[in-house]
Amino acid sequence: MASACRAAGVAASKRGAAALIALAAVCLIAAASYDWAQNQLDVSFHAFQDSRGVTVLSPDANFAKDFTDRTAVKVRFGVDAISAASDSCARCHPDGANNGRVVASVNVTRKYGDSKVTLGGEFSRESFYTATTALASVSRDLNKSNTTVAGGFAYSFNQPQLHPDQTTESQHSVDAYGSVTQSWTRKTITQFGYELNQINGYQTNPFLRTSVNGVMTVGNSPDARTRHALSARLRQALPGETFLDADYRYYHDTWAIDSNTLSVGLSHHFGGSIVGGAAYRRYTQTAAYFYEPFYTGSPEYYTGDFRLFPFNSNSITGRLELTPKGGLMGMPAGTGLTLQYERYKSTTGFEAGIFTGGVRIPLK
Amino acid sequence: MAFKTRLLMALTLVSALLLGTGCATVQPWQRGLLADSCMVFDANNSAAYMTHWQESREGSAGGFGVQGGGCGCK
Repeated sequence: MASACRAAGVAASKRGAAALIALAAVCLIAAASYDWAQNQLDVSFHAFQDSRGVTVLSPDANFAKDFTDRTAVKVRFGVDAISAASDSCARCHPDGANNGRVVASVNVTRKYGDSKVTLGGEFSRESFYTATTALASVSRDLNKSNTTVAGGFAYSFNQPQLHPDQTTESQHSVDAYGSVTQSWTRKTITQFGYELNQINGYQTNPFLRTSVNGVMTVGNSPDARTRHALSARLRQALPGETFLDADYRYYHDTWAIDSNTLSVGLSHHFGGSIVGGAAYRRYTQTAAYFYEPFYTGSPEYYTGDFRLFPFNSNSITGRLELTPKGGLMGMPAGTGLTLQYERYKSTTGFEAGIFTGGVRIPLK
Repeated sequence: MAFKTRLLMALTLVSALLLGTGCATVQPWQRGLLADSCMVFDANNSAAYMTHWQESREGSAGGFGVQGGGCGCK
């Protein structure tokens, strides 16, 4: 019976993968045959596999259309097909478990002189989680467009379901962001940002368990969390068609997690149609104040969530962009193909490889 | 170093940079390199996917723009 279930699961997984590949192919064919106006289409396919045996296949499409010289619309549609068992799923589904996620978003941007106003929304739905987000942002160019000041606000209403129970919990997230982007010279641009995020409501991961007095128990996290993130970014043109990018983020929250993230990359133009690049990312974080490897007595809060453990991670990314002169696969000139691979490894023993293939189509 | 101290230092730094921005004027005809895709923040869509899955494995998030509602993988 178990082997039959496994075979059925594998077959279902293969059918899902085949369906996703077919969907990506249909999108590409549709893109190739579209009668282009003032539009842009990006079609991407992401494949994720990690050391737990989890595979995630994620095609997504981004479509942008300028309705007038002042109004633009961006539409995004994406799918995640999650197969095999994650460490939390494997507890009850040793033969594997499949999940799926659909995400769709729409943003409308309108220009008012040197300012832009964007209003939008996003909806995400999967087996045990639903998220609905509304967002608004404003940006303004100053100093002959050498300075851009931007700010944004988002509200999300999230509903995790406590599988296998049918109970649905609620979570409210309010997010505010501000940034300053500055062109310093014809070769140097920087961006500084600050983001404040307040989350209230159920924030326990309902699938991850920890030992409380020797019994594996679903965690219990505080219902309020305030998160701060400061960021600094640099893009620097170097001699010889080479470009440096460096991003740093310092993060702190009221659960006592502090983290530092640094990524540094180089890109180089090989002739007029190939861009190659590589990047390194280093991440370190401290533990949440209520994290313990195991618990005894009657702790108020306890967690088995690996995101709240102390750990470091390193990742390396390689990237190749091809923009053949005269177009690609019958699509318009300027169409670009992107291939990217990232290898991620953390001190928790987690490792993952992520491949991305995408087609970017600039339209008439 | 306390978070409030770091935040104050960052705000001071950004304020100083803002005051200094009047000195930096790149003319429109000098912006060729700045328009290169390698110089544009978040130019490619795969960056959003990478951020999404990294946040599903790490305890911190944000810093580069307002966020959506996340997912159950978090």
